[in-house]
Amino acid sequence: MTSTLILLAAAVATYALRTVLITVVPAHRLPAALRRGLGHLAPAALAALVATAVVGRGGLPVLFVPGPVHAALVALAVAALVAWRTRNPALPVLAAVAVLLCWEVLP
Amino acid sequence: MDITLRHSPTVEVRAALRDLAPVMVGLAPFALLIGVTGVRSGVGGGTGVLSSAVLLGGSAQLTGLTMLAGGAAPLALVAAVTLVNARFLLYAAAIEPSFRDQPRWFRWVGPQFVVDPTYAMVTRRGDLADPGRFRRYWLTAGVGLAAAWVGLTVLGVVLAPVLPDSAALDVAAPAMFLAVLVPQLRARPARAGASAAAVTAVVASPLPDGIGLLCGIAVGVLAATLSDRSPSS
Repeated sequence: MTSTLILLAAAVATYALRTVLITVVPAHRLPAALRRGLGHLAPAALAALVATAVVGRGGLPVLFVPGPVHAALVALAVAALVAWRTRNPALPVLAAVAVLLCWEVLP
Repeated sequence: MDITLRHSPTVEVRAALRDLAPVMVGLAPFALLIGVTGVRSGVGGGTGVLSSAVLLGGSAQLTGLTMLAGGAAPLALVAAVTLVNARFLLYAAAIEPSFRDQPRWFRWVGPQFVVDPTYAMVTRRGDLADPGRFRRYWLTAGVGLAAAWVGLTVLGVVLAPVLPDSAALDVAAPAMFLAVLVPQLRARPARAGASAAAVTAVVASPLPDGIGLLCGIAVGVLAATLSDRSPSS
């Protein structure tokens, strides 16, 4: 019950984040410089999401430690190549998962 | 002879489903992972499924479930989830023009579906200027994504006892984001923004509660904006 209430509280806070600049204070009232920046949000957010997913909370040093991070980097490099060649959103994912499964299975 | 071409409302519904299908293939392992984490962390499969239904944001859900399992204080958990999801504030601001001429109910209901995949889907389309078209596309994509996300989380709960431990599930979500990102890298500001964001996010990743992610996004947007202003861009 407590877990449910905590999750509901987190959901209310998240809903507020999603709604405030659409319904409460529409973003077109924001300063022009800020609105110009929002046009560049997608690539920045996606790249940051990929980077943090790879390193977790390990920071720069984990990139130089052989192991799971290197496997993920190889898998994502293949995924990027597939994405560049095919422009298909599903194939890069399947390619990355396949590379990682091979990495884990092969000695 | 009347040669007026009538626009069928189902066009946007079909387009949204067509765009959503490959995105869900990419997100499926991530949704399964939420269900598996709910069961294996000890908080319960039902809690994992509930988090999918009410939060609809994978990284915040994993943060929340992990903190619940570790017995974190309620306020700390809500604050951490809010910080991890703070990027939704930016996404909402970026797509706000599409919500401007919409009915009041949609302006309150629609934002619930602001999340990485739906944001990426609408920013790739250039044919949603009409409010009605945007509304049909957004609701189809949002409701479809939420239903599939919850369904796949349930599947993760069911399969948790038999699924082997593998990092393959972990790589699916970043690969999906990469699949959306790579086609955008033709423009120089996008390349500058993505590079700066990735480097900053890696360096700042040890910071708690997703602050590194937010730093990466902020620096990336700044770098892209500056690159856009330079004469050679």
